Amino acid sequence: MQVHKYDVVIVGAGGAGMRAAIESGQRARTAVLTKLYPTRSHTGAAQGGMCAALANVEEDNWEWHTFDTVKGGDYLVDQDAAEVMAKEAIDAVLDLEKMGLPFNRTPEGKIDQRRFGGHTRDHGKAAVRRACYAADRTGHMILQTLYQNCVKHNVEFFNEYYVLDLITVEEDATKEDGTPYKQKRVAGVVSYDLASGEIHIFQAKSVVFASGGLGKIFKTTSNAHTLTGDGMAIAYRAGIPLEDMEFVQFHPTGLAGLGILLSEAARGEGGILRNSEGERFMERYAPTIKDLAPRDIVARSMANEVREGRGCGPNKDYVLLDLTHLEPEHIDAKLPDITEFARTYLGVEPYTEPVPVFPTCHYAMGGIPTNIKAEVLQDNETVVPGLYAAGEVACVSVHGSNRLGTNSLLDINVFGKRAGIYAAEYAQGAEFVELPEAPETFVVDQLQMLRDATGSERVGAIRAELQETMDANMQVFRSEETIKEALAKIGELKERYTQITVQDKGRRFNLDLLEAVELGFLLDMAEVMTVSALHRQESRGGHYREDFPDRDDENFMLHSMLYKDPEAETEGIQGIRFDTKPVVFTRYEPMERKY
Amino acid sequence: MATQANPEAVLPAQGIEAPRSGRIDPKYLRSRTSRSNFEMMAWVFMRVSGAALVVLIFVHLWVNLMVGDGIHQIDFSFVAGKWANPVWQFWDLTMLWLAMLHGTNGMRTIINDYAEKDSTRAWLKAILYLSAAVIIILGTMVIFTFEPCLTDEAGNLLEGVAPEFCHGV
Amino acid sequence: MSTATVENEPASTVDLGESGDGAGAIESFEVTLKVRRYDPERAEDAWWDEWTLTMYGTDRVLDALHKVKWEIDGSLTFRRSCAHGICGSDAMRINGRNRLACKTLLKDLDTSKPITVEAIKGLPIEKDLIVDMEPFFQSYREIMPFLINNSPAPTAERLQSPEDRERFDDTTKCILCAACTSSCPVFWTDGQYFGPAAIVNAHRFIFDSRDDAGDMRLEVLNDKEGVWRCRTTFNCTDACPRGIEVTKAIQEVKTAIITRSL
Repeated sequence: MQVHKYDVVIVGAGGAGMRAAIESGQRARTAVLTKLYPTRSHTGAAQGGMCAALANVEEDNWEWHTFDTVKGGDYLVDQDAAEVMAKEAIDAVLDLEKMGLPFNRTPEGKIDQRRFGGHTRDHGKAAVRRACYAADRTGHMILQTLYQNCVKHNVEFFNEYYVLDLITVEEDATKEDGTPYKQKRVAGVVSYDLASGEIHIFQAKSVVFASGGLGKIFKTTSNAHTLTGDGMAIAYRAGIPLEDMEFVQFHPTGLAGLGILLSEAARGEGGILRNSEGERFMERYAPTIKDLAPRDIVARSMANEVREGRGCGPNKDYVLLDLTHLEPEHIDAKLPDITEFARTYLGVEPYTEPVPVFPTCHYAMGGIPTNIKAEVLQDNETVVPGLYAAGEVACVSVHGSNRLGTNSLLDINVFGKRAGIYAAEYAQGAEFVELPEAPETFVVDQLQMLRDATGSERVGAIRAELQETMDANMQVFRSEETIKEALAKIGELKERYTQITVQDKGRRFNLDLLEAVELGFLLDMAEVMTVSALHRQESRGGHYREDFPDRDDENFMLHSMLYKDPEAETEGIQGIRFDTKPVVFTRYEPMERKY
Repeated sequence: MATQANPEAVLPAQGIEAPRSGRIDPKYLRSRTSRSNFEMMAWVFMRVSGAALVVLIFVHLWVNLMVGDGIHQIDFSFVAGKWANPVWQFWDLTMLWLAMLHGTNGMRTIINDYAEKDSTRAWLKAILYLSAAVIIILGTMVIFTFEPCLTDEAGNLLEGVAPEFCHGV
Repeated sequence: MSTATVENEPASTVDLGESGDGAGAIESFEVTLKVRRYDPERAEDAWWDEWTLTMYGTDRVLDALHKVKWEIDGSLTFRRSCAHGICGSDAMRINGRNRLACKTLLKDLDTSKPITVEAIKGLPIEKDLIVDMEPFFQSYREIMPFLINNSPAPTAERLQSPEDRERFDDTTKCILCAACTSSCPVFWTDGQYFGPAAIVNAHRFIFDSRDDAGDMRLEVLNDKEGVWRCRTTFNCTDACPRGIEVTKAIQEVKTAIITRSL
């Protein structure tokens, strides 16, 4: 075992992690721990664009962007955070351009912008050109540009180091009103070097979580195999609450059957959705902006078309994305990658044939609760000093119950930058928290247990069943019945998880062992997600309850907060404590959400 | 790096060094030798000499094989006759030098590409350069010191070998 | 241009005809997967393992590897992440050619013979299909893969015409998967060669009108292990999963070095 000491340790090297590293690396001794090589992160899969009210091609301002974000999130957005994001979006884009990002350009040489779902002019009047883009590879360009700048600033990366535990200590403290409480403090992280199988402890003054989402809970997902909710699960196990976990975004246009993402830019550039009758069905669901309605609405409309028998294909289980009325040159210029996906994976030629698509699990709106300084909260208002989170793993909350397209690339840049700056500033004025006795014990025991286990269950089988049940019961349509079914299945799978066996007993590059650890994270997160979904008896944004089809602002205009607590019980599940947190309002009153 | 190695490693890879402890196998490390334009010049030379050789060689072949009596005219006196002309002397000298340097550089490239051990590479290159030097020097000497009017011990021209113009001397 | 296409509202309803039926039923078939294994903890030398699997028409080589790992032999080790060709984790030698396992459909290969899968060549093998990527990234870092602009930054963006942007578009697509570098016969024997990927990434900045350090990069690549080691075998262009014209990019860098010296 080795112990390393750094001022700032960043967990994850995707967009948020590397954006934080660029800031923090110039201010404090920074280490980035990442379970993949940095350029493998899933930020690179983002396609369409990054919205900012630059007004390069038509009138726009960041206040409209704030409104769209709030409305898109079905008013569960913390409006102070949304304001910060929309306002700083402009600098975030310009920062990237100055770092070298090759945006597409207007004839005058400025950054070009295009339309995107849910982004409108003057509070919903019409679609607006707000998304800055680099063909349909915007995420790829952002990831490469950020990595390039990390190389420029000599950021120290620990590649293929899996962070498996967060080291915290608790101190007695009293609140302003005199009530005593336990103040958490962060001491560092425990990590596992994939190459050697060695444990490395990183002692740090600040820790930034930027480890991404948990899409692999579902079977049909646009997410990478490595997105297993590690950061959220680790924080949760360390007693940090998780916020709004019931809200998962299903992206409308995943390649049917595969889940591979086809960007919303396809519809931004004029693509339309059709059912088996050839009808442009979005005209019925969102008469004003039609195919460019927010993702939750489009995904639900698509699922509804299929449910009512207007699906296409031999099993009538998908709808079609029609690009055939667009010029092939236009498609090649603006959407080269996604048309190649259609050709490679489905053998469909998008110039002449419509592409089979169906909603695919895309993004977790919830996560580790933070404030607008990216500081992690241990309850509704208490900050954990030195602990930060940014990106998909965090819940600021700028996405509320449904994230608008492009706002994730914005989120990682705005709050990644903030996390990097504040984490470094904190580290400069703080002392190391002393490591507790043998902080690696939990991880070492867990790995040893998994390695020695001689059960009969296989990791792959349990994971597949988890994904099946989540797809069947927790997708775009949910009800008490389906959620409870999922919950029962998760309970059963958690039981079976204790009986697994890992075949690879080696130390070197033991991915078999790590997949078992990741399955543990997935199961924990699936349980939190379903409990949270069961509790929210309303329909809002990405969470649609067939038994409660309307939004209920009176009872549920609140963030869900779930804590790991062995003594508590929520919805019949032992070990989870449920609480709520008020939503921050500044200038927008909740209205009915129509497009 | 502020790293303390703990002698009692908890999970060391048994008997195997950690595959990556920040080190890179020396065979991938470039020696920081002084930068020069040699490789670029070599690369340009290959293209230029290649083009030049096409002209030189085809004219050479055409003059030798197609003009006049063709292949039947080639004998000692034909060669001697050509080399009496400074233009042909220069032509053949250029052809010799370009062909030898072009070929040698090509061989050098192949050795660089295929020899895996440094010592093998050095030996092969030494042999290559030596043989190239010998041929170039020999060839150059022949072109400039060539004696067309061969005589026997008595100082008479060798009949049937010496070209026509020797008789006029 | 884009305005015209969007403003022309497409028809509300169209006759889908045949195209509405989509791809139709997916066929299944048997394949034999033959993987070159290596694990110094188990054996000194590499060995071959073979499995026969039932796979489907939409399955890729990665799906076959997963099937083995998840259902038969958990110790089979390979890198993968996004599974649709944009993260660059799973470059490997499939039937002797460098490909991304997640972009190679089984049905496009000759399934009557075993499909061989090996680690990419030229980099040290760590375990099964995993190689040490450090030498690769070291070369990448040495060509200064970041924008260097010495003039003071404007308050808004730096301007760049669409034509200038187009000039280096091809090389911005690189995902650093190492398929090109490890397909290069020169790199196989000479690990010090910068390799196609590093040159492609240098090209991306050399031809970016906003960058001021093109000369420095050209100087780096004028090394004896730089662009002049390229033999234009086109292996790299063939291997690139992003369709980058790698050899062409290398030639453009060569031309730039020569024009600079004249």
